[in-house]
Amino acid sequence: MTEQQKVQVNAEPARRSETADTSAPLVDIYEREDGTIVIEAELPGVEVDGVDIGVDKGVLSLEAQANVPELGEGFSCTYAGFGAERFFRAFALSDGVDRDGIHAEMADGVLTVTLPRAAAARSRKIEIKQG
Amino acid sequence: MDHPERNGKGLFMAIYRWPAGWDPLQGLRTMHRELERFLGDGITSAARRIGGGSYPPVNVWNGPEEMVVQCEVPGVSRDEIELSITGETLVIKGTKKPPAEEAQARYQRRERGYGDFNRTIVLPDKVEAEQVEASLKAGILSVRLPKSEAARPRRIQVK
Repeated sequence: MTEQQKVQVNAEPARRSETADTSAPLVDIYEREDGTIVIEAELPGVEVDGVDIGVDKGVLSLEAQANVPELGEGFSCTYAGFGAERFFRAFALSDGVDRDGIHAEMADGVLTVTLPRAAAARSRKIEIKQG
Repeated sequence: MDHPERNGKGLFMAIYRWPAGWDPLQGLRTMHRELERFLGDGITSAARRIGGGSYPPVNVWNGPEEMVVQCEVPGVSRDEIELSITGETLVIKGTKKPPAEEAQARYQRRERGYGDFNRTIVLPDKVEAEQVEASLKAGILSVRLPKSEAARPRRIQVK
């Protein structure tokens, strides 16, 4: 794995161009033992500065623009399997997520968003006192 | 062993190669291009959205001096990709590993696939195998394949 690069998480929703054709990136969502939720999104061709993540009104939105290296003049395309895609996907957050603790990293075209559990939502053992 | 191709009897023909620049599927390709233009959106991207096509997706570019193959392999690291070239055939092999902590992870959604992949690409021209270069950036593998001397265009002086 190449080194993880930090991605800024904004307080505004990710800009979404309505006209441009966007596709939803493939994601894996899993919960770690400590309750932290991790979203891993496949964004091939996307660099750190090409991602826009926003958390607003309980919705995590992500937008990204891929950049496929252009070839100079004289090259003709023999076979085309993919292009410089634009990605967009939004996720509803549960109340149990610590909004301010959300952070994201990028490596090898995969974005990893970590959503820690809010302290209030962690299960607590309640001791019963003898009355 | 008596080789049928070398024994002079001509019992077996060598595998026929299409002449360079002649494409038996030309008609179909033209139709595909026309349709793509007509639909505006592009069949390839539409097919991708519904999960069609072979994995991993590739682009093949043909230039005068070299060819370039681009391949989408997000989440695959450099040492998990194996490239080999034989004549005009490029083979991209690799392994996509799941996150390490999978054992303790409770999955809620799994859309990305894992496992071995293998893609064979027949290139438009012969390659100088010693000079092939590959780089990986943001999940896109780029392979530069310089054409062999015989395949490069040459200017011929008219006397």
